[in-house]
Amino acid sequence: MNISYNWLNEIVDSGLDPQQVADQLTRVGLAVEGVHPHGDDFVLDIDLTSNRPDCLSHRGIGRELSAVLDNAMIDREVSAVPSSDAGLVEIEDADLCNRFTARVIRNVKVGPSPQWLVDRLEAIGERSINNVADITNYVMHELGQPMHAFDLDKLSGGRIVVRRARSGEKIQTLDEVERVLDTDMLTICDAESPVAIGGVMGGLESSITDATVNVLLEVAYFDRGNIRATSRKLNLATEASYRFERGTDVLNLVRASERAADLIRELAGGEKAEFVDIFAVPFVPRSFLSNDIAGAVKRLTGLSVDRTECIRILNALGIGSSQNEDGSLTFTAPSWRHDIAIEEDLVEEIARHAGYEKIAEELPPAFGAGEYQPTERRERRLRARLADLGCVEALSYSFIDERHDGVFEIVPGIIGNSTTEPYVTLRDSVIEGALRMRPSILPGLLDSVRTNLNHKRRDLKLFEIGKVFSTGEGEEGLPNEQKLLTIVMTGSESLSDRAKPGNQVEFFDIKGGLEAALDAVGCYEAVYRTANVKHLRIGQAAAVSVGEVEIGHLGRLDDELAAGYKFKQPVYVAEINLTTVLKLPTANAAYKPLPRFPSVVRDVSFIVDRTFAFDSIRTAITEQANDLCRKVSFVDNFEGKDGDRSLTIRLEYRSDERTLVEEEVEAVHASLLKGVEQKLQIRPQM
Amino acid sequence: MSEIDRQVDEIREAFEQEFGRFADLSTDVSALAEAEARLRELSELKIRHTGKKSPISGAMKLIGKVAPEDRAAFGQMVQAVEKGIAAKIEEAETKLSAFISNAKIESERLDVTIPGRRIREGHLHPITILRQKIEDIFVSMGYAIEDDREIETDYYNFDALNIPEGHPARESQDTFYTTEGFALRSQTSTVQIRAMERRGVPLRILAPGRVFRRDTPDMTHTPMFHQIEGLCVDKGITMAHLKGTVSEWLRLLFGPETVTRFRPSYFPFTEPSAEFDFSCFKCGGTGIFDGERCRPCKGSGWIELGGSGMVHPNVLRACGVDPAVYSGFAFGFGLERMTALMYSIDDIRHMFENDVRFLEQFR
Repeated sequence: MNISYNWLNEIVDSGLDPQQVADQLTRVGLAVEGVHPHGDDFVLDIDLTSNRPDCLSHRGIGRELSAVLDNAMIDREVSAVPSSDAGLVEIEDADLCNRFTARVIRNVKVGPSPQWLVDRLEAIGERSINNVADITNYVMHELGQPMHAFDLDKLSGGRIVVRRARSGEKIQTLDEVERVLDTDMLTICDAESPVAIGGVMGGLESSITDATVNVLLEVAYFDRGNIRATSRKLNLATEASYRFERGTDVLNLVRASERAADLIRELAGGEKAEFVDIFAVPFVPRSFLSNDIAGAVKRLTGLSVDRTECIRILNALGIGSSQNEDGSLTFTAPSWRHDIAIEEDLVEEIARHAGYEKIAEELPPAFGAGEYQPTERRERRLRARLADLGCVEALSYSFIDERHDGVFEIVPGIIGNSTTEPYVTLRDSVIEGALRMRPSILPGLLDSVRTNLNHKRRDLKLFEIGKVFSTGEGEEGLPNEQKLLTIVMTGSESLSDRAKPGNQVEFFDIKGGLEAALDAVGCYEAVYRTANVKHLRIGQAAAVSVGEVEIGHLGRLDDELAAGYKFKQPVYVAEINLTTVLKLPTANAAYKPLPRFPSVVRDVSFIVDRTFAFDSIRTAITEQANDLCRKVSFVDNFEGKDGDRSLTIRLEYRSDERTLVEEEVEAVHASLLKGVEQKLQIRPQM
Repeated sequence: MSEIDRQVDEIREAFEQEFGRFADLSTDVSALAEAEARLRELSELKIRHTGKKSPISGAMKLIGKVAPEDRAAFGQMVQAVEKGIAAKIEEAETKLSAFISNAKIESERLDVTIPGRRIREGHLHPITILRQKIEDIFVSMGYAIEDDREIETDYYNFDALNIPEGHPARESQDTFYTTEGFALRSQTSTVQIRAMERRGVPLRILAPGRVFRRDTPDMTHTPMFHQIEGLCVDKGITMAHLKGTVSEWLRLLFGPETVTRFRPSYFPFTEPSAEFDFSCFKCGGTGIFDGERCRPCKGSGWIELGGSGMVHPNVLRACGVDPAVYSGFAFGFGLERMTALMYSIDDIRHMFENDVRFLEQFR
């Protein structure tokens, strides 16, 4: 908000230069963002917090400054004698309009404003319209009270009715827009129809024009919530609605009305005529008790401010105080402060005027050991491991486009069984189409792959750890939130600082990455099996599980889906339910004595087709449970031309009691291979 | 000269003649292979001219023909010749070997300035890097890291935080809602409530996490961002503890010279409330860096970071904590803003575009 330095000086004779005023105001929480020269004046740009509508005027700022300087405001005594209510104003809905005043000014000459008024308004960034309109605007900025001037002769019946709009009633507002009102909106009406939307904007029809002779000046107090609701529904925010919804001063109406009427008389001629003041809902000041205000200040801020100074600060801010018999104090919030209701509010008033800079810096007493989230250490290892493998950590928006619905297979455990509508959906979004709370991180990461390919970065490894969502039946029906790990790889391996790329990334690279990632979080028992996964290419897709628990899937992105993203190179993806994985028990390492005797290895090759699984051979051997066979490992996979391939495995034999002799190994080896042959009908190549 | 002396002399001369081509190696040995061939020839020559079967060794047998009184002199003479032959061969051998090993080293000389061979390392997101640093500081100060729901009921997002219906901060313009009527949390303060309910008091927690506001993305706004919330509730906690704690962690993060400033402000869930700024880490609070207006602080010397205050009694009561017995402070700030300031990032939308050219810059 803009405040004129000269104008402010008319309210409080500060004796300070503009920068000093700015510093003093900033210190007590009225943050002055800038001081700008304007002619012979200076403009202070003040950033107000939403709890201080009382400072939305020169008088309001002046009040704070006077409390800072302990220097009384220059105030004018105001009184207006109401004339007998000749039915000029009627309030039908007093619940939305606590108080309404109307002043009639007759024989006015509408015309341009004098230069001083034009200058004042211009200094604070307001445009001059005509003398009457300028005066209402001027008084609002001076005293904080919005008001509206009607052309009395355009009011049907020459009177005002304050009531809720009738269903379907319309009004063309000052901005020349026709607005349809509903029955929750408060209107100022003449004998027939609405002439203003109360506290928001006046009607065009009854507005002041150059031809206006008689003016009816409305100065009123409206229900804050109702003004806010109306302003939102109509998508119409004005200087008036801004002030009314935050709260104005119900006891300031007569002062504002008189100030405006006097200025109109002075600058536009005319005589003050009838004055009506209907105070429909009496103002009851908020009072509350404080046993020991100085103690409360000490307790919450550590500041030592003596009781006298506490009371001085509060009184200077208009907060009344009276001492009770038991020594406690009763404080009364002034009508302009809607934010003062409890002792803590007083503590803030005292602390900010005593000065936050006087509060000491202390550390709280020692408390005990801090702690990370139980899974944080493992998550840190996971992130570090993936980064070491060349993966770059991504963060994507939690909301994704609806067009991804049903395209990606959701990781097991995310979506409950009984829900018919699995997705969490937003009512609306600020990014077009992004209405779904993501059930998968893949759409976000694939968009990121696209972004990077567009920048000619073709060798990519990205990962993201983040929450995904599904509708839930949990506490109060809140959605399920679980953490996923998602990895995407494409292009070639790249070496640090070297331009020449390494090998093309393939299925076994993302699998290796995932294995390493799972190792990092202490999950060593993952099992991979061929699976059909909606978004993955058949034959290059695997489901991942640990024991009985399915944890996710990985593989090569489906061709059609990849084409949709215009990917011209294979993209490999893995997605894992990290919440599930982090809940799995982790075992400490178990020491085994080092071997005392040498081992003997035998390599064997099998000719198998592409659907055959290496794992089935390993299982066929290990389930024979021979004591001497210690390890079965993969050696090589040689792809032939006609769909067959040669799969080489290594068996390692060792005894803990003796060095094995050739014949012994041969016998066991032959027996194991016999078992494989019987189970799988495959024979080693000789 | 006697016949015998002449015979010895002939042996010596025969050697010298054969050895001649090894006498000066510098003229015709230039390549490694040549040197290796020479060394082989030399070792053959050595076999012929040294040892028991060599001519000079045979010459010693002639001693019987020498007059007894001359035998000692003759013996010495033959030994001298033998030693001379051995010395010459050895010298040549040494030279050749040195040449060969030198040549071998040269042939395997490497350009050590070529970059080392390693997988190109990945990078953590700058938000993660900063979050981990801040978590480490607070864990060292006795705080427990908390994490909680991102989709919340209005109760946790608003009511319990003393933001009643009709409060401007509750405008649906600012908050995302699901079709089921839940709010995407608009601040991590929700964790204050959940943590106090779960842990009771006293407590000290730090809650980092995603929050959501209905801002259209632009250079300084994104509809999703990260906040860190701190909360300390105990008997006798004052604003002095708030100031001390915030100042301490900012010093730990930005260095011991960092100064913190508190300004009165307003938040529904704290009373009294304060915003906090810290002296600019770049210009040290002078507002001028390298003779120009400092960028992170826009020349003010101060960087506005976050909000804080003493936990509002209504918030404590909502969590079943008696504000007459306990008091506490809370503070919060945005990680994107802080990251943007620290690295002079001019457009915070980069944080969620996952452009590796951006992400690779952080380590």
